[in-house]
Amino acid sequence: MDNQVDVVVIGGGSTGCGVIRDLARRGLDAVLVEKGNLTHGTTGRMHGLLHSGGRYAVSDKKSARECIEENRVLRDIAGHCVEETGGLFVKRPEDSEEYFQEKLEGCRECDIPAEVIDGEEARRREPYLARDVEKAIAVPDGAVDPFRLCVANAADAREHGARVETHAEVTDILIEDDEVVGIEIEHDSGPGKRVHHEPGETEAIYAKYVVNATGAWAGQIGEMAGVDVEVRPSKGVMTVMNTRQVDTVVNRCRPKGDADIVVPHETACILGTTDKEVGDPEDYPEEEWEVDLMIETLSELIPALKDARTLRSFWGVRPLYEPPGTGTDDPTDITRDYFLLDHDVRDDLPGMTSIVGGKLTTYRMMAESITDHVCEKLDHEAECDTAEAPLPGSEDFSVLRDYMEEFGIRSPIGRRSAQRLGSRADEVLSSVDPNPVVCECEGVTRAEVRDGIEQAGSDLNAVRLRTRASMGNCQGGFCTHRIASELAQEYPEPVVRDAEDELFQERWKGQRHALWGRQLSQAMLNRMLHATTMNRDGDLASIDADVDFGAFDAGETPAGGSDVGGSPTGVTATDGGRDGDR
Amino acid sequence: MTGHTTDETDDAVQRDVERTASSDDERSAATDGGVESASGGAPAAELDPDAYDPVDVFPGGDLDLREGADSCYKCTSCDTSCPVAEVDDEFPGPKFQGPEQWRLKRKEDHDIDESITSCSNCMRCDEACPSSVPLSQMHNEARGQFVEEQMEKLSVEYIRNRILANYRTSARLASLTPRLATVAMNFGPIRVAMDKLLGIPSERDFPEFATTTFREWWRDRGGAKVTNPEKRVAYFHGCYSNYNTPEVGKAMVRVYEHFGYEVLVPKQGCSGTPMFANGMLKDARRHAETNVEHLVEAIDDGADVIASCTSCSLSLRQEYPELFDIHGIDDLAEHTFEALEYLRIHEDLRGALEDASLDANQSFAYHAPCHARNQGLERQAVETFRDVDGVTMEDVGDSCSGISGTYGWKSEKYEKSMQIGDDMFDHMEDAEGDVGMTECPTCAMQMEHGTGYEIRHPLQLLEEALDA
Amino acid sequence: MAIDSDVLVVGGGLAGITAAISAAREGAHVRLVSHKASTLAQASGLIDALGYVPPTEPSKPLREGPPTAGRNLDRDEWPDPDGPLADPYDAIASLPADHPYRLVGGDALREGLALFDELTGAAYHGGHTDQNALVPTFGGSLKPTARYPTSAKAGLASDDRSTLIVGFRSLTEYDARALAGRLDAGGVPFEVAGAEVEFAEAFRADTKITRIAKALDRDEQIEGTPAREALAAAVKPHLTDAIDQGDVGRVDRVGFPAFLGDDESTAVRAELADRLGAAVFEIPMGPPSLPGLRLEDLLYDALADAGVSFETGMPVVGYETDEDGSIDHLLIDRKGTEVPYGAESIVLATGGLVGKGLDSDREGVTEPVLDLHVPQPSERYEWFVDDAYGEQPYARFGVAADERLRPLDQDGEVSHDNVRVAGAVLGGADVAREKSASGVSLATGLVAGREAAMEV
Repeated sequence: MDNQVDVVVIGGGSTGCGVIRDLARRGLDAVLVEKGNLTHGTTGRMHGLLHSGGRYAVSDKKSARECIEENRVLRDIAGHCVEETGGLFVKRPEDSEEYFQEKLEGCRECDIPAEVIDGEEARRREPYLARDVEKAIAVPDGAVDPFRLCVANAADAREHGARVETHAEVTDILIEDDEVVGIEIEHDSGPGKRVHHEPGETEAIYAKYVVNATGAWAGQIGEMAGVDVEVRPSKGVMTVMNTRQVDTVVNRCRPKGDADIVVPHETACILGTTDKEVGDPEDYPEEEWEVDLMIETLSELIPALKDARTLRSFWGVRPLYEPPGTGTDDPTDITRDYFLLDHDVRDDLPGMTSIVGGKLTTYRMMAESITDHVCEKLDHEAECDTAEAPLPGSEDFSVLRDYMEEFGIRSPIGRRSAQRLGSRADEVLSSVDPNPVVCECEGVTRAEVRDGIEQAGSDLNAVRLRTRASMGNCQGGFCTHRIASELAQEYPEPVVRDAEDELFQERWKGQRHALWGRQLSQAMLNRMLHATTMNRDGDLASIDADVDFGAFDAGETPAGGSDVGGSPTGVTATDGGRDGDR
Repeated sequence: MTGHTTDETDDAVQRDVERTASSDDERSAATDGGVESASGGAPAAELDPDAYDPVDVFPGGDLDLREGADSCYKCTSCDTSCPVAEVDDEFPGPKFQGPEQWRLKRKEDHDIDESITSCSNCMRCDEACPSSVPLSQMHNEARGQFVEEQMEKLSVEYIRNRILANYRTSARLASLTPRLATVAMNFGPIRVAMDKLLGIPSERDFPEFATTTFREWWRDRGGAKVTNPEKRVAYFHGCYSNYNTPEVGKAMVRVYEHFGYEVLVPKQGCSGTPMFANGMLKDARRHAETNVEHLVEAIDDGADVIASCTSCSLSLRQEYPELFDIHGIDDLAEHTFEALEYLRIHEDLRGALEDASLDANQSFAYHAPCHARNQGLERQAVETFRDVDGVTMEDVGDSCSGISGTYGWKSEKYEKSMQIGDDMFDHMEDAEGDVGMTECPTCAMQMEHGTGYEIRHPLQLLEEALDA
Repeated sequence: MAIDSDVLVVGGGLAGITAAISAAREGAHVRLVSHKASTLAQASGLIDALGYVPPTEPSKPLREGPPTAGRNLDRDEWPDPDGPLADPYDAIASLPADHPYRLVGGDALREGLALFDELTGAAYHGGHTDQNALVPTFGGSLKPTARYPTSAKAGLASDDRSTLIVGFRSLTEYDARALAGRLDAGGVPFEVAGAEVEFAEAFRADTKITRIAKALDRDEQIEGTPAREALAAAVKPHLTDAIDQGDVGRVDRVGFPAFLGDDESTAVRAELADRLGAAVFEIPMGPPSLPGLRLEDLLYDALADAGVSFETGMPVVGYETDEDGSIDHLLIDRKGTEVPYGAESIVLATGGLVGKGLDSDREGVTEPVLDLHVPQPSERYEWFVDDAYGEQPYARFGVAADERLRPLDQDGEVSHDNVRVAGAVLGGADVAREKSASGVSLATGLVAGREAAMEV
């Protein structure tokens, strides 16, 4: 008791991570708690679009302006998390010309750089576009890796003295004398890194202020504090293709609707999305029609999508909020703006503020605003520098190196690794020798996997998010066991086994939605490898079986017999063919 | 009878369309729109308006083959079939070179890993892949891009590779003074100099140049001795049969005339095989344009195209349509056959050989060239001659001979090429006969180099058996 | 007809080869065509007959309606499988009624294995008993299997000799200590420990297994020492210091990753065993699998010896039927030209979803060569369950057949009189969880081949 910190931030998504970075950099003593891995919530389940603001240029100009501003900031401070793909708003013959003009004007009004190009130029830039695309507006959309971004924010926060706890679920908001004084959390294991089979503790953390940055879960946290926060979660599907059919963000230029965006992301591209309100942000249906809709509709823009391979689909939940009394029906109409709910002011409960709504692109701006608010509450004076200071990993780095000479790894793998590791590439890639590739699909070497394990413990999903291992064609079929083997250096066998199972099943979760064509063949091959050859499902270490070893074949000759020397007794070593025993 | 055919074999126009439209198709489109590509680009062709062009994705107009990675399910069957990976640990194998490397490429950094030059283009990976990943297409294209964009054009390596790739040019010059050329090319000090300066191994003997080329013989003979508009074949002799082993060409002519075919010998260039292996796609394209022009003319005259070298036939049937978009190239691909294959399909070869016999018993150690496998021909020779009286044909196993065209002709690869061929040499020694047999000229060179055996072509045996 | 045969077998895997040889032995002239290399090279080289009877019913009701975003898998959804089975034949009766073993009977399995034994001679073992063997694989668990190659012979789990598992830093397939730990956790009746040794580091990281095998085959120099000697020297120090439980002094046998040579594997193992003074065995791995490759070589030699004509590299792209529905000939695509291949009877052994004998899109699963009927739920989302290792409907997809392996249409009638179906293209078996893939291929291959020859 009585280790009172200044601020506790609940929620390890982009908002929470941005807030803790800002708080720590301004000199406050802060703790962040997250029930799962960082980006467990909405942040980790979106298509990675770094908005230029174009998508809001007609319907929500305030959001649009914020987006373009922050788009520029993030390119500066988060270089290794952002890919500057550019974006297109593409018009097909049946799309409204009026809306096209509105979009263009909207962009201009919001100071979003916008260039009109004709169909041919559009296809020159993005050759996989359908032939009958008439024209397009080019805008500075980008692609961001949300996990990398949050990890970098959290790392920066740690460097400035903050404490970050993942796999620590808030079980209670502590209230004394009608004021919020802290939280109670349940650790999965530890405190510290999550390790399978290590028991967790309950911990109470006292703080001068609590920030509820839990997005779609804000209502649930609010409930623990006895206040109403009416978040209206709405789900959307994301379908992941195996390769990049496009290298630019492709938007459909028409009023809001489903299936209107394709975002390139690392080696793949992501199709999005739908928008349906759900009750529980943790438990809602993942439906076939949503996946089919993505493919059918977006192949109007990019015909190759019809037959291309999908790896998996996943869903995310938007943390939409609207002030009480607004009463919108259609979730697509709810504002994407963010709201600071000071519970002292609105609910007579000092000590806590909830932040709801918003979007990833403007996370830093939201975080600044919240941190300003908290500093005011705590009477703390400090300047915000989060827009200028580069995130760890984004300091000057170049992807153009001689990877073979410097690290002994092949150039395409080196580039990808460096892109992920940013300025930490040198340090990590030279840390291990030999340094074989562990995940071949995504080019992840042992060094990177080990680095991930060091930060994440035995949670291989967290390692996956950091390194992209198991996120390629085989969806873990050929590498979960190899990734898990890296755990064996530090962790005992049962931990390795459970961690491997967890990753394999998690990969299956998303693949369920891609079970046709080549991914179905992949799933079957994975099943053959893991069940037949590795016998994971019948592993004596995992099932309850009383095995009488004596009932099985123990060999032709008695044990301890003639096998020293290698050839079976009394039998000639040919097989009747030309070459003898093989 | 009711018939069902799948889409793959509909007529040529549909195939053209399929190739540009479908990403499921094994082969991606070559370039369109006249932009310079690694393979030289092409004038715009008619395209399905509903389709799209996966071209010009990479700056400079190079082909984008990332979608080939969609077919790969990581089984590593290709890697385990790769003869180079077996002896060279610097070589990452077909899986990395093809689907993995391509999938990791980005628009703005599409550098190819330099190990692509260690691939010998034996194409065994194609045959091994259960998922029909277009492996050799991906390798050829990557290699072409690497040589064009990343290789230093003034380097010894590039110059040497260009010389080796353009064998036809060297052979043509040599054939002006064949005896002198044969002696000079095998003269110790010259070879040592070539080894040191160019990197062409002095251990190997240069093949003899014939005093009369096949085409000269054909001309002197007065061309075809059989006229038959219903049964016509256009002979693609290849550089080697013309300049070095015209007896193979002669055997072809005699055998086909025996079966009543009118043989045409159109103007032709190199099939491009050594150029693909060295990433010299522009050179290959130039020759392809010549070949397409003259061979399609013959096809229009009712002929099918016959090649006696299995690399030539594979090049015309597979690499041509995969890498080049020249008008008529699909027709050429569809109408090309290997010499014995054509007779098996169109004549009763089994019947013709039933009563055949040789004057004296002969034993052969047969090696199936890697390029023959992709055409389903690896068992052809053994099965065709199995029942001929007096012939013993033993297959010396399924390993690669190791020379892989120009691969074994590079000093830095010589050791490796001999290691790859080790198994084959052993089996040849173990076989009953001391005469080797194979359809591929460079395999023949390797077989001779490793054992000292005389090497013959199945067409020569067929000629003898039929008394043609 | 351009190319004619009595029996035409489509597919060059275990089932196709078995069918071809079996038909040839009945006196038929047999031709085998295969589009690509078989999946034998991907498999571990072990020949499994029946290792488990997996549960087909969950222990609690499965979710109704679409999958949900709930994060946690219910680990108790499915009961444990029945097994590992010591006797594969006994359990056949408890398999589903449409399982290939139920169609052709246990005797077909027995005969199929006997044929396999004949074809492989001394290269394979296990035929001296009906009982399965428990073989450790690189997953660290024991796999029940009916036949195993000589290279795996010394590693049987029922053999209680003390064991050292060897691993290498640059080989990522498994970690030796974790593997040993997992075997131990599985209750094996022998002392086992794992050690990492230095040998493969002499090669570049990411070297292919075939490279190491070749180096051992040829006994190449590794930094001045012949490879086999170098490998033995690397392992030797760990023979005694790796095991410190009980009073085991030094181990009696050593398990290696499956890379101990290709053509010279007997000699390689013999020399290692000699130098180490311990028995030596290989641990079967997934692809790339040397034991799988060796088996493929063996079987293709046997195919040639049986007088079967075969060619690879050519896909079947069509077929023509007679008035009565029998197949008259197949159309083979020879690089752009369709060539008719005639036959009295056809055996379809093209493989399942992995071997590409079954195709699929968002609408359904199909058999692409002869358009045979593939029974399946109409909804795609009924093809799977949530537990990756549960009873997955898609795992049992395939062509339905009668006891003579003639394909059945959607009405349950024989669709083509002169066609027989064998191997993974058949439906009804979950070969992955049953550990029955090879047995199904052998049993049905044998029957299909014989049946096809009888049609001639």
